[in-house]
Amino acid sequence: MNTFFSNKKAIAIFVLPTLLLFTVIVFYPLLNVMYGSFFDYKGLTPQTFIGLEHYKRLMTDSLFYTSLKNGLIFAAIITVYQIVFATILAFAVNNATMKGRSFFRVVYFIPVVLSITVVCQLWLSILNAENGLLNQFFEIIGLDYQQDWLSDRYKAIFPISFTNAWQYMGYHFALILAGIKSIPQTYYEAAKIDGASTLKAHLKITIPMLAETYKFCLIMAVTGGLNAYTNMHIMTSGGPGTSTYTLTYMMVRSINKTYEFGYGMSSAVILVLECLLATIFINRLLARDRIQY
Amino acid sequence: MAKKRHLISHTIYRIFLWCYALFSLYPLIWMGFNSLKNNQEIFETNPFGPPTAFRFENYIKALSQYNVPQYFINSIIVSVATVTFTIVLGMMFSYATSRMRWKGQNIAKIYVSMGMFIPIQALFIPIFLLISRMGIVNTHLSLILPYTAFNLAFSTLVFYGFFRSIPFELEEAACIDGAGIFRTFFKIIVPTIKPAIATLIIFIFLQSWNEFPLASILISDEGMKTLPLGLLFFQGSFSTEWGPMAATMVIASCPTVIIYILFSNQVEKAMTVGGAVKG
Repeated sequence: MNTFFSNKKAIAIFVLPTLLLFTVIVFYPLLNVMYGSFFDYKGLTPQTFIGLEHYKRLMTDSLFYTSLKNGLIFAAIITVYQIVFATILAFAVNNATMKGRSFFRVVYFIPVVLSITVVCQLWLSILNAENGLLNQFFEIIGLDYQQDWLSDRYKAIFPISFTNAWQYMGYHFALILAGIKSIPQTYYEAAKIDGASTLKAHLKITIPMLAETYKFCLIMAVTGGLNAYTNMHIMTSGGPGTSTYTLTYMMVRSINKTYEFGYGMSSAVILVLECLLATIFINRLLARDRIQY
Repeated sequence: MAKKRHLISHTIYRIFLWCYALFSLYPLIWMGFNSLKNNQEIFETNPFGPPTAFRFENYIKALSQYNVPQYFINSIIVSVATVTFTIVLGMMFSYATSRMRWKGQNIAKIYVSMGMFIPIQALFIPIFLLISRMGIVNTHLSLILPYTAFNLAFSTLVFYGFFRSIPFELEEAACIDGAGIFRTFFKIIVPTIKPAIATLIIFIFLQSWNEFPLASILISDEGMKTLPLGLLFFQGSFSTEWGPMAATMVIASCPTVIIYILFSNQVEKAMTVGGAVKG
Protein backbone atom coordinates (compact mmCIF):
# COMPACT_ATOMS: atom_id res chain seq x y z
CA MET A 1 0.00 0.00 0.00
CA ASN A 2 2.81 2.38 0.83
CA THR A 3 4.48 1.83 -2.48
CA PHE A 4 1.12 2.47 -4.08
CA PHE A 5 0.77 5.91 -2.47
CA SER A 6 4.37 6.94 -2.84
CA ASN A 7 4.90 5.84 -6.42
CA LYS A 8 7.40 8.52 -7.45
CA LYS A 9 6.81 8.19 -11.15
CA ALA A 10 3.07 8.58 -10.73
CA ILE A 11 3.48 11.60 -8.47
CA ALA A 12 5.71 13.27 -11.02
CA ILE A 13 3.25 12.61 -13.83
CA PHE A 14 0.33 13.90 -11.75
CA VAL A 15 2.00 16.98 -10.35
CA LEU A 16 4.55 18.33 -12.79
CA PRO A 17 2.29 19.53 -15.65
CA THR A 18 0.23 21.65 -13.27
CA LEU A 19 3.26 23.02 -11.44
CA LEU A 20 4.94 23.86 -14.72
CA LEU A 21 1.93 25.59 -16.25
CA PHE A 22 1.15 27.52 -13.08
CA THR A 23 4.73 28.64 -12.65
CA VAL A 24 5.15 29.77 -16.25
CA ILE A 25 1.79 31.51 -16.69
CA VAL A 26 0.93 32.82 -13.23
CA PHE A 27 3.83 32.84 -10.81
CA TYR A 28 6.64 33.92 -13.11
CA PRO A 29 4.55 36.78 -14.59
CA LEU A 30 3.72 37.93 -11.07
CA LEU A 31 7.41 38.24 -10.22
CA ASN A 32 7.97 39.75 -13.63
CA VAL A 33 5.44 42.52 -12.97
CA MET A 34 7.10 43.54 -9.72
CA TYR A 35 10.59 43.35 -11.17
CA GLY A 36 9.69 44.89 -14.52
CA SER A 37 8.17 47.99 -12.94
CA PHE A 38 11.68 49.14 -12.01
CA PHE A 39 12.89 49.01 -15.61
CA ASP A 40 12.46 51.14 -18.65
CA TYR A 41 11.32 48.64 -21.22
CA LYS A 42 9.64 49.47 -24.50
CA GLY A 43 9.68 46.08 -26.19
CA LEU A 44 12.47 46.53 -28.70
CA THR A 45 15.00 48.58 -26.74
CA PRO A 46 17.06 46.80 -24.06
CA GLN A 47 15.85 47.10 -20.48
CA THR A 48 17.47 49.74 -18.33
CA PHE A 49 17.11 49.86 -14.58
CA ILE A 50 15.50 53.11 -13.50
CA GLY A 51 14.47 52.32 -9.93
CA LEU A 52 11.37 54.14 -8.78
CA GLU A 53 11.12 56.49 -11.77
CA HIS A 54 7.89 54.91 -13.03
CA TYR A 55 6.28 55.30 -9.65
CA LYS A 56 7.35 58.94 -9.47
CA ARG A 57 5.88 59.45 -12.90
CA LEU A 58 2.63 57.80 -11.82
CA MET A 59 2.40 60.23 -8.91
CA THR A 60 2.44 63.17 -11.32
CA ASP A 61 0.34 61.58 -14.06
CA SER A 62 -3.19 62.99 -13.99
CA LEU A 63 -4.35 59.94 -15.95
CA PHE A 64 -3.27 57.77 -13.01
CA TYR A 65 -5.49 59.73 -10.62
CA THR A 66 -8.41 59.64 -13.03
CA SER A 67 -7.95 55.88 -13.36
CA LEU A 68 -7.66 55.36 -9.63
CA LYS A 69 -10.73 57.47 -8.96
CA ASN A 70 -12.79 55.70 -11.63
CA GLY A 71 -11.80 52.31 -10.24
CA LEU A 72 -12.98 53.38 -6.80
CA ILE A 73 -16.26 54.89 -8.06
CA PHE A 74 -16.93 51.78 -10.15
CA ALA A 75 -16.16 49.47 -7.21
CA ALA A 76 -18.31 51.51 -4.83
CA ILE A 77 -21.32 51.59 -7.15
CA ILE A 78 -21.30 47.91 -8.07
CA THR A 79 -20.68 46.85 -4.46
CA VAL A 80 -23.53 48.87 -3.00
CA TYR A 81 -25.96 48.09 -5.81
CA GLN A 82 -25.23 44.37 -5.92
CA ILE A 83 -25.17 43.69 -2.22
CA VAL A 84 -28.24 45.79 -1.38
CA PHE A 85 -30.42 44.34 -4.15
CA ALA A 86 -29.06 40.82 -3.72
CA THR A 87 -29.85 40.90 -0.01
CA ILE A 88 -33.40 42.20 -0.39
CA LEU A 89 -34.21 39.86 -3.26
CA ALA A 90 -32.65 36.81 -1.62
CA PHE A 91 -34.59 37.39 1.59
CA ALA A 92 -37.83 37.78 -0.34
CA VAL A 93 -37.25 34.74 -2.54
CA ASN A 94 -36.26 32.63 0.45
CA ASN A 95 -39.64 33.30 2.06
CA ALA A 96 -41.40 29.92 2.01
CA THR A 97 -44.81 31.42 1.24
CA MET A 98 -43.53 33.19 -1.87
CA LYS A 99 -44.83 31.67 -5.11
CA GLY A 100 -42.67 31.28 -8.20
CA ARG A 101 -39.38 31.12 -6.35
CA SER A 102 -37.53 29.09 -8.95
CA PHE A 103 -38.72 31.48 -11.65
CA PHE A 104 -37.26 34.47 -9.83
CA ARG A 105 -34.04 32.62 -9.17
CA VAL A 106 -33.54 31.86 -12.85
CA VAL A 107 -34.50 35.34 -14.01
CA TYR A 108 -32.17 37.17 -11.63
CA PHE A 109 -29.27 34.93 -12.52
CA ILE A 110 -29.55 34.86 -16.33
CA PRO A 111 -27.56 38.08 -17.03
CA VAL A 112 -24.59 36.54 -15.18
CA VAL A 113 -24.11 33.82 -17.78
CA LEU A 114 -24.19 36.22 -20.73
CA SER A 115 -21.02 37.40 -22.37
CA ILE A 116 -19.97 40.80 -21.05
CA THR A 117 -19.66 41.96 -24.66
CA VAL A 118 -23.31 41.17 -25.29
CA VAL A 119 -24.40 42.96 -22.14
CA CYS A 120 -22.34 46.04 -22.96
CA GLN A 121 -23.64 46.22 -26.53
CA LEU A 122 -27.16 45.67 -25.28
CA TRP A 123 -26.95 48.55 -22.81
CA LEU A 124 -25.18 50.70 -25.39
CA SER A 125 -28.23 50.41 -27.57
CA ILE A 126 -30.57 51.00 -24.63
CA LEU A 127 -28.61 54.09 -23.58
CA ASN A 128 -28.14 55.38 -27.12
CA ALA A 129 -28.77 59.13 -27.30
CA GLU A 130 -30.83 59.31 -30.48
CA ASN A 131 -33.11 56.33 -30.42
CA GLY A 132 -32.12 54.29 -27.42
CA LEU A 133 -34.81 52.49 -25.46
CA LEU A 134 -34.33 54.55 -22.32
CA ASN A 135 -34.81 57.92 -24.01
CA GLN A 136 -37.81 56.59 -25.90
CA PHE A 137 -39.24 55.35 -22.64
CA PHE A 138 -38.90 58.81 -21.07
CA GLU A 139 -40.57 60.30 -24.10
CA ILE A 140 -43.54 57.95 -23.83
CA ILE A 141 -44.15 58.55 -20.15
CA GLY A 142 -43.76 62.29 -20.79
CA LEU A 143 -40.60 62.92 -18.81
CA ASP A 144 -38.15 65.42 -20.19
CA TYR A 145 -35.11 63.51 -19.09
CA GLN A 146 -33.62 62.37 -22.38
CA GLN A 147 -29.88 62.74 -22.67
CA ASP A 148 -26.72 61.41 -24.19
CA TRP A 149 -25.90 59.06 -21.33
CA LEU A 150 -22.35 58.17 -22.21
CA SER A 151 -20.91 61.37 -23.62
CA ASP A 152 -20.69 63.47 -20.46
CA ARG A 153 -17.19 63.30 -19.05
CA TYR A 154 -18.41 63.63 -15.47
CA LYS A 155 -21.36 61.27 -15.67
CA ALA A 156 -20.29 58.54 -18.12
CA ILE A 157 -18.77 56.39 -15.38
CA PHE A 158 -22.20 55.95 -13.76
CA PRO A 159 -24.08 54.21 -16.57
CA ILE A 160 -21.00 52.07 -17.19
CA SER A 161 -20.88 51.00 -13.55
CA PHE A 162 -24.59 50.39 -13.60
CA THR A 163 -24.26 48.03 -16.57
CA ASN A 164 -21.80 45.87 -14.66
CA ALA A 165 -23.84 46.03 -11.46
CA TRP A 166 -26.96 44.99 -13.38
CA GLN A 167 -25.20 42.04 -14.99
CA TYR A 168 -23.61 40.53 -11.90
CA MET A 169 -26.23 41.27 -9.24
CA GLY A 170 -27.55 37.74 -9.76
CA TYR A 171 -24.22 36.24 -8.80
CA HIS A 172 -24.35 37.87 -5.37
CA PHE A 173 -28.03 37.00 -5.12
CA ALA A 174 -27.20 33.30 -5.63
CA LEU A 175 -24.38 33.46 -3.08
CA ILE A 176 -26.55 35.08 -0.43
CA LEU A 177 -29.48 32.76 -1.12
CA ALA A 178 -27.16 29.75 -0.76
CA GLY A 179 -25.86 31.26 2.48
CA ILE A 180 -29.36 31.71 3.90
CA LYS A 181 -30.25 28.12 3.02
CA SER A 182 -27.30 26.82 5.01
CA ILE A 183 -28.46 28.43 8.25
CA PRO A 184 -30.15 25.79 10.42
CA GLN A 185 -33.91 26.29 10.84
CA THR A 186 -33.65 25.74 14.61
CA TYR A 187 -32.39 29.30 15.05
CA TYR A 188 -35.55 30.70 13.52
CA GLU A 189 -37.75 28.37 15.54
CA ALA A 190 -36.06 29.57 18.70
CA ALA A 191 -36.51 33.19 17.62
CA LYS A 192 -40.19 32.56 16.88
CA ILE A 193 -40.73 31.10 20.33
CA ASP A 194 -39.10 34.21 21.76
CA GLY A 195 -41.63 36.26 19.80
CA ALA A 196 -39.27 37.88 17.33
CA SER A 197 -40.75 39.27 14.12
CA THR A 198 -39.50 38.09 10.72
CA LEU A 199 -37.63 41.33 10.15
CA LYS A 200 -36.02 41.12 13.56
CA ALA A 201 -35.06 37.50 12.98
CA HIS A 202 -33.38 38.50 9.72
CA LEU A 203 -31.50 41.36 11.32
CA LYS A 204 -30.43 39.39 14.39
CA ILE A 205 -29.87 35.94 12.91
CA THR A 206 -29.59 35.88 9.13
CA ILE A 207 -27.33 38.87 8.53
CA PRO A 208 -24.78 38.06 11.26
CA MET A 209 -24.78 34.40 10.20
CA LEU A 210 -24.01 35.48 6.66
CA ALA A 211 -20.79 37.26 7.67
CA GLU A 212 -18.64 34.83 5.68
CA THR A 213 -20.86 35.11 2.61
CA TYR A 214 -20.84 38.89 2.79
CA LYS A 215 -17.10 38.87 3.17
CA PHE A 216 -16.77 36.90 -0.05
CA CYS A 217 -19.33 39.09 -1.86
CA LEU A 218 -17.52 42.24 -0.77
CA ILE A 219 -14.12 40.95 -1.83
CA MET A 220 -15.49 39.84 -5.21
CA ALA A 221 -17.31 43.12 -5.86
CA VAL A 222 -14.56 45.44 -4.66
CA THR A 223 -11.61 43.69 -6.31
CA GLY A 224 -13.69 43.08 -9.44
CA GLY A 225 -14.51 46.78 -9.49
CA LEU A 226 -10.93 47.92 -9.01
CA ASN A 227 -9.87 45.67 -11.91
CA ALA A 228 -12.58 47.04 -14.20
CA TYR A 229 -11.68 47.18 -17.84
CA THR A 230 -14.07 45.48 -20.24
CA ASN A 231 -17.09 47.69 -19.61
CA MET A 232 -15.11 50.85 -20.26
CA HIS A 233 -13.30 49.42 -23.22
CA ILE A 234 -16.49 48.41 -25.00
CA MET A 235 -18.85 51.18 -23.95
CA THR A 236 -16.74 54.34 -24.15
CA SER A 237 -13.16 53.32 -25.08
CA GLY A 238 -12.04 55.18 -21.99
CA GLY A 239 -13.75 58.37 -23.13
CA PRO A 240 -15.05 60.99 -23.42
CA GLY A 241 -11.40 62.02 -23.51
CA THR A 242 -9.76 59.95 -20.83
CA SER A 243 -12.60 60.35 -18.34
CA THR A 244 -13.48 56.66 -17.94
CA TYR A 245 -9.97 55.20 -17.75
CA THR A 246 -9.16 52.64 -15.06
CA LEU A 247 -5.84 51.20 -13.95
CA THR A 248 -6.33 48.06 -16.03
CA TYR A 249 -7.30 50.24 -18.98
CA MET A 250 -4.11 52.27 -18.55
CA MET A 251 -2.10 49.08 -18.43
CA VAL A 252 -3.69 47.54 -21.50
CA ARG A 253 -3.13 50.79 -23.37
CA SER A 254 0.57 50.46 -22.59
CA ILE A 255 0.49 47.14 -24.45
CA ASN A 256 -1.51 48.21 -27.47
CA LYS A 257 -0.72 51.87 -28.00
CA THR A 258 2.35 53.23 -26.28
CA TYR A 259 4.49 50.08 -25.79
CA GLU A 260 5.64 51.40 -22.42
CA PHE A 261 5.67 48.00 -20.79
CA GLY A 262 7.67 49.08 -17.73
CA TYR A 263 5.32 51.96 -17.02
CA GLY A 264 2.31 49.71 -17.53
CA MET A 265 3.74 47.22 -15.06
CA SER A 266 4.03 49.90 -12.39
CA SER A 267 0.26 50.50 -12.66
CA ALA A 268 -0.20 46.73 -12.47
CA VAL A 269 1.75 46.69 -9.20
CA ILE A 270 -0.48 49.45 -7.82
CA LEU A 271 -3.47 47.34 -8.89
CA VAL A 272 -2.17 44.28 -7.03
CA LEU A 273 -1.50 46.37 -3.91
CA GLU A 274 -4.93 47.96 -4.12
CA CYS A 275 -6.65 44.57 -4.33
CA LEU A 276 -4.50 43.21 -1.52
CA LEU A 277 -5.30 46.16 0.74
CA ALA A 278 -9.01 45.91 -0.03
CA THR A 279 -9.00 42.17 0.76
CA ILE A 280 -7.14 42.65 4.05
CA PHE A 281 -9.40 45.53 5.02
CA ILE A 282 -12.59 43.56 4.30
CA ASN A 283 -11.22 40.54 6.17
CA ARG A 284 -10.46 42.70 9.20
CA LEU A 285 -13.81 44.42 9.00
CA LEU A 286 -15.79 41.18 9.08
CA ALA A 287 -13.46 39.00 11.11
CA ARG A 288 -14.88 39.70 14.55
CA ASP A 289 -16.37 36.34 15.33
CA ARG A 290 -16.14 33.37 13.06
CA ILE A 291 -19.44 31.59 13.00
CA GLN A 292 -19.78 27.88 13.34
CA TYR A 293 -22.81 25.68 13.18
CA MET B 1 -53.25 42.70 13.19
CA ALA B 2 -49.98 40.83 12.79
CA LYS B 3 -51.49 38.83 10.00
CA LYS B 4 -52.61 41.95 8.17
CA ARG B 5 -49.20 43.52 8.51
CA HIS B 6 -47.67 40.33 7.21
CA LEU B 7 -49.96 40.41 4.19
CA ILE B 8 -48.97 44.00 3.37
CA SER B 9 -45.25 43.35 3.64
CA HIS B 10 -45.68 40.19 1.62
CA THR B 11 -47.41 42.11 -1.14
CA ILE B 12 -44.74 44.81 -1.19
CA TYR B 13 -42.05 42.17 -1.44
CA ARG B 14 -43.91 40.46 -4.23
CA ILE B 15 -44.27 43.65 -6.25
CA PHE B 16 -40.60 44.31 -5.77
CA LEU B 17 -39.66 40.81 -6.92
CA TRP B 18 -41.74 41.20 -10.06
CA CYS B 19 -40.37 44.67 -10.82
CA TYR B 20 -36.80 43.47 -10.57
CA ALA B 21 -37.59 40.37 -12.61
CA LEU B 22 -38.94 42.61 -15.37
CA PHE B 23 -35.89 44.84 -15.11
CA SER B 24 -33.58 41.85 -15.29
CA LEU B 25 -35.32 40.07 -18.13
CA TYR B 26 -36.80 42.79 -20.34
CA PRO B 27 -33.50 43.95 -21.90
CA LEU B 28 -32.91 40.36 -23.00
CA ILE B 29 -36.41 39.95 -24.34
CA TRP B 30 -35.99 43.27 -26.15
CA MET B 31 -32.79 41.92 -27.68
CA GLY B 32 -34.74 38.86 -28.87
CA PHE B 33 -37.51 41.10 -30.30
CA ASN B 34 -34.99 43.28 -32.13
CA SER B 35 -33.36 40.27 -33.69
CA LEU B 36 -36.58 39.74 -35.65
CA LYS B 37 -37.28 43.36 -36.56
CA ASN B 38 -36.00 45.81 -39.14
CA ASN B 39 -34.59 49.24 -38.37
CA GLN B 40 -37.86 51.02 -39.01
CA GLU B 41 -39.73 48.86 -36.56
CA ILE B 42 -37.01 49.15 -33.91
CA PHE B 43 -36.71 52.92 -34.10
CA GLU B 44 -40.07 54.23 -35.12
CA THR B 45 -43.10 52.05 -35.33
CA ASN B 46 -42.62 49.51 -32.56
CA PRO B 47 -39.63 50.00 -30.24
CA PHE B 48 -40.97 48.12 -27.21
CA GLY B 49 -43.28 45.31 -28.25
CA PRO B 50 -42.89 41.94 -29.95
CA PRO B 51 -42.10 41.94 -33.66
CA THR B 52 -45.05 42.14 -36.06
CA ALA B 53 -43.33 39.95 -38.62
CA PHE B 54 -40.60 37.43 -37.94
CA ARG B 55 -37.64 38.53 -39.99
CA PHE B 56 -35.44 35.47 -39.80
CA GLU B 57 -33.31 36.99 -42.55
CA ASN B 58 -31.51 38.85 -39.75
CA TYR B 59 -30.19 35.52 -38.52
CA ILE B 60 -29.22 34.43 -42.01
CA LYS B 61 -27.42 37.73 -42.49
CA ALA B 62 -25.63 37.40 -39.15
CA LEU B 63 -24.44 33.94 -40.08
CA SER B 64 -23.56 34.58 -43.70
CA GLN B 65 -22.27 38.17 -43.90
CA TYR B 66 -20.30 38.40 -40.69
CA ASN B 67 -17.72 36.04 -39.32
CA VAL B 68 -20.05 34.73 -36.64
CA PRO B 69 -19.69 31.00 -37.45
CA GLN B 70 -15.89 31.34 -37.34
CA TYR B 71 -16.03 33.12 -33.95
CA PHE B 72 -18.37 30.45 -32.71
CA ILE B 73 -16.00 27.65 -33.73
CA ASN B 74 -13.03 29.44 -32.15
CA SER B 75 -14.95 29.89 -28.91
CA ILE B 76 -15.86 26.21 -28.87
CA ILE B 77 -12.27 25.08 -29.53
CA VAL B 78 -10.85 27.35 -26.84
CA SER B 79 -13.51 26.55 -24.24
CA VAL B 80 -13.55 22.80 -24.76
CA ALA B 81 -9.74 22.57 -24.69
CA THR B 82 -9.57 24.75 -21.56
CA VAL B 83 -12.20 22.67 -19.79
CA THR B 84 -10.47 19.41 -20.71
CA PHE B 85 -6.98 20.50 -19.70
CA THR B 86 -8.10 22.15 -16.49
CA ILE B 87 -10.14 19.16 -15.38
CA VAL B 88 -7.50 16.54 -16.20
CA LEU B 89 -4.56 18.49 -14.78
CA GLY B 90 -6.47 19.70 -11.72
CA MET B 91 -7.74 16.21 -10.97
CA MET B 92 -4.32 14.59 -11.18
CA PHE B 93 -2.64 17.33 -9.18
CA SER B 94 -5.22 17.25 -6.40
CA TYR B 95 -5.10 13.49 -6.22
CA ALA B 96 -1.35 13.55 -5.73
CA THR B 97 -1.52 16.33 -3.13
CA SER B 98 -4.50 14.99 -1.20
CA ARG B 99 -3.98 11.21 -1.10
CA MET B 100 -0.49 10.28 -2.10
CA ARG B 101 2.45 10.72 0.26
CA TRP B 102 5.50 12.71 -0.63
CA LYS B 103 7.62 15.52 0.69
CA GLY B 104 6.38 18.97 -0.22
CA GLN B 105 2.83 17.96 -1.03
CA ASN B 106 1.45 20.71 1.19
CA ILE B 107 3.75 23.34 -0.24
CA ALA B 108 2.74 22.32 -3.76
CA LYS B 109 -0.92 22.58 -2.86
CA ILE B 110 -0.57 26.01 -1.23
CA TYR B 111 1.58 27.23 -4.10
CA VAL B 112 -1.03 26.49 -6.75
CA SER B 113 -3.97 27.69 -4.65
CA MET B 114 -2.26 31.08 -4.37
CA GLY B 115 -3.64 31.62 -7.85
CA MET B 116 -7.01 32.37 -6.27
CA PHE B 117 -5.72 35.63 -4.82
CA ILE B 118 -3.77 37.06 -7.74
CA PRO B 119 -5.64 39.63 -9.83
CA ILE B 120 -5.34 38.21 -13.33
CA GLN B 121 -5.51 41.63 -14.99
CA ALA B 122 -2.27 42.61 -13.28
CA LEU B 123 -0.43 39.86 -15.17
CA PHE B 124 -1.48 40.88 -18.66
CA ILE B 125 1.76 42.58 -19.71
CA PRO B 126 4.16 39.74 -18.82
CA ILE B 127 1.72 37.20 -20.25
CA PHE B 128 1.50 39.19 -23.46
CA LEU B 129 5.31 39.36 -23.63
CA LEU B 130 5.62 35.66 -22.84
CA ILE B 131 3.10 34.59 -25.45
CA SER B 132 4.79 36.85 -28.03
CA ARG B 133 8.17 35.37 -27.23
CA MET B 134 6.76 31.87 -27.57
CA GLY B 135 5.54 32.95 -31.00
CA ILE B 136 1.98 31.81 -30.46
CA VAL B 137 0.12 35.14 -30.58
CA ASN B 138 -3.07 34.74 -32.64
CA THR B 139 -3.38 31.02 -32.08
CA HIS B 140 -5.93 29.10 -30.03
CA LEU B 141 -3.12 27.92 -27.79
CA SER B 142 -2.34 31.51 -26.75
CA LEU B 143 -5.71 31.58 -24.99
CA ILE B 144 -5.95 27.94 -23.91
CA LEU B 145 -2.71 28.03 -21.90
CA PRO B 146 -3.53 31.12 -19.79
CA TYR B 147 -7.19 30.16 -19.35
CA THR B 148 -6.14 26.73 -18.10
CA ALA B 149 -3.50 28.19 -15.79
CA PHE B 150 -5.93 30.73 -14.33
CA ASN B 151 -8.59 28.11 -13.65
CA LEU B 152 -6.21 25.58 -12.12
CA ALA B 153 -6.14 27.14 -8.64
CA PHE B 154 -9.88 26.97 -8.27
CA SER B 155 -10.31 23.49 -9.72
CA THR B 156 -7.51 21.98 -7.62
CA LEU B 157 -9.17 23.37 -4.49
CA VAL B 158 -12.54 21.89 -5.39
CA PHE B 159 -11.05 18.49 -6.29
CA TYR B 160 -8.89 18.52 -3.17
CA GLY B 161 -11.99 18.83 -1.00
CA PHE B 162 -13.68 15.95 -2.80
CA PHE B 163 -10.67 13.63 -2.68
CA ARG B 164 -10.30 14.17 1.06
CA SER B 165 -13.82 12.85 1.60
CA ILE B 166 -13.30 9.46 -0.12
CA PRO B 167 -12.41 6.47 2.11
CA PHE B 168 -8.95 5.01 1.61
CA GLU B 169 -10.43 1.50 1.39
CA LEU B 170 -11.12 2.19 -2.28
CA GLU B 171 -7.46 2.18 -3.17
CA GLU B 172 -6.71 -0.65 -0.78
CA ALA B 173 -9.25 -2.90 -2.48
CA ALA B 174 -7.95 -1.95 -5.90
CA CYS B 175 -4.38 -2.54 -4.79
CA ILE B 176 -5.20 -6.00 -3.46
CA ASP B 177 -6.86 -6.80 -6.77
CA GLY B 178 -3.57 -5.96 -8.40
CA ALA B 179 -4.53 -2.70 -10.14
CA GLY B 180 -1.76 -0.13 -10.64
CA ILE B 181 -2.06 3.47 -9.60
CA PHE B 182 -3.09 4.83 -13.00
CA ARG B 183 -5.73 2.21 -13.49
CA THR B 184 -7.06 2.75 -9.98
CA PHE B 185 -7.11 6.50 -10.48
CA PHE B 186 -8.95 6.57 -13.81
CA LYS B 187 -11.25 3.55 -13.30
CA ILE B 188 -12.13 3.84 -9.62
CA ILE B 189 -11.33 7.23 -8.17
CA VAL B 190 -12.39 9.50 -11.04
CA PRO B 191 -15.93 8.06 -11.26
CA THR B 192 -16.48 8.80 -7.56
CA ILE B 193 -15.92 12.53 -8.06
CA LYS B 194 -18.30 12.96 -10.98
CA PRO B 195 -20.32 15.69 -9.21
CA ALA B 196 -17.19 17.81 -8.79
CA ILE B 197 -16.27 17.26 -12.41
CA ALA B 198 -19.74 18.28 -13.60
CA THR B 199 -19.66 21.43 -11.48
CA LEU B 200 -16.24 22.42 -12.71
CA ILE B 201 -17.04 21.73 -16.35
CA ILE B 202 -19.86 24.24 -16.18
CA PHE B 203 -17.87 26.81 -14.24
CA ILE B 204 -14.81 26.71 -16.46
CA PHE B 205 -16.87 26.60 -19.64
CA LEU B 206 -18.75 29.77 -18.69
CA GLN B 207 -15.52 31.50 -17.71
CA SER B 208 -13.67 30.71 -20.89
CA TRP B 209 -16.65 31.17 -23.21
CA ASN B 210 -17.13 34.72 -21.92
CA GLU B 211 -13.55 35.82 -21.27
CA PHE B 212 -12.80 39.13 -22.93
CA PRO B 213 -9.80 41.21 -21.71
CA LEU B 214 -7.02 38.70 -22.28
CA ALA B 215 -8.41 37.66 -25.66
CA SER B 216 -8.52 41.32 -26.68
CA ILE B 217 -4.79 41.61 -26.05
CA LEU B 218 -3.65 38.32 -27.54
CA ILE B 219 -5.89 37.98 -30.58
CA SER B 220 -5.98 40.48 -33.41
CA ASP B 221 -6.34 38.07 -36.32
CA GLU B 222 -9.93 38.11 -37.53
CA GLY B 223 -9.98 34.37 -38.11
CA MET B 224 -8.87 33.59 -34.56
CA LYS B 225 -11.27 35.81 -32.63
CA THR B 226 -13.59 34.30 -30.06
CA LEU B 227 -17.22 35.38 -29.86
CA PRO B 228 -16.90 38.07 -27.16
CA LEU B 229 -14.13 39.65 -29.20
CA GLY B 230 -15.71 39.16 -32.60
CA LEU B 231 -18.94 40.78 -31.49
CA LEU B 232 -17.16 44.10 -31.20
CA PHE B 233 -17.55 44.72 -34.92
CA PHE B 234 -20.88 46.33 -34.14
CA GLN B 235 -19.29 48.73 -31.68
CA GLY B 236 -20.26 52.27 -32.53
CA SER B 237 -22.35 51.31 -35.52
CA PHE B 238 -25.74 52.10 -34.05
CA SER B 239 -27.43 53.52 -37.06
CA THR B 240 -26.58 50.69 -39.42
CA GLU B 241 -28.08 47.28 -38.89
CA TRP B 242 -29.71 46.66 -35.58
CA GLY B 243 -31.60 43.54 -36.56
CA PRO B 244 -28.57 41.44 -37.57
CA MET B 245 -26.66 42.90 -34.62
CA ALA B 246 -29.34 41.70 -32.19
CA ALA B 247 -29.46 38.35 -34.00
CA THR B 248 -25.71 37.96 -33.52
CA MET B 249 -26.05 38.78 -29.85
CA VAL B 250 -28.78 36.17 -29.48
CA ILE B 251 -26.63 33.55 -31.24
CA ALA B 252 -23.67 34.36 -28.97
CA SER B 253 -25.83 34.06 -25.86
CA CYS B 254 -27.57 30.83 -26.77
CA PRO B 255 -25.00 28.28 -25.55
CA THR B 256 -24.64 29.71 -22.05
CA VAL B 257 -28.33 30.51 -21.61
CA ILE B 258 -29.36 27.02 -22.76
CA ILE B 259 -26.81 25.41 -20.45
CA TYR B 260 -28.06 27.57 -17.63
CA ILE B 261 -31.73 26.80 -18.20
CA LEU B 262 -31.04 23.05 -18.46
CA PHE B 263 -28.74 22.88 -15.45
CA SER B 264 -29.71 25.94 -13.42
CA ASN B 265 -29.14 24.25 -10.06
CA GLN B 266 -25.82 22.90 -11.17
CA VAL B 267 -24.69 26.23 -12.63
CA GLU B 268 -25.54 28.17 -9.48
CA LYS B 269 -23.81 25.56 -7.41
CA ALA B 270 -20.77 25.84 -9.64
CA MET B 271 -20.71 29.60 -9.29
CA THR B 272 -21.38 29.66 -5.55
CA VAL B 273 -18.95 26.89 -4.72
CA GLY B 274 -16.33 29.55 -5.32
CA GLY B 275 -17.74 31.33 -2.30
CA ALA B 276 -17.53 28.23 -0.19
CA VAL B 277 -13.95 27.59 -1.19
CA LYS B 278 -12.71 31.12 -0.98
CA GLY B 279 -14.59 32.23 2.14
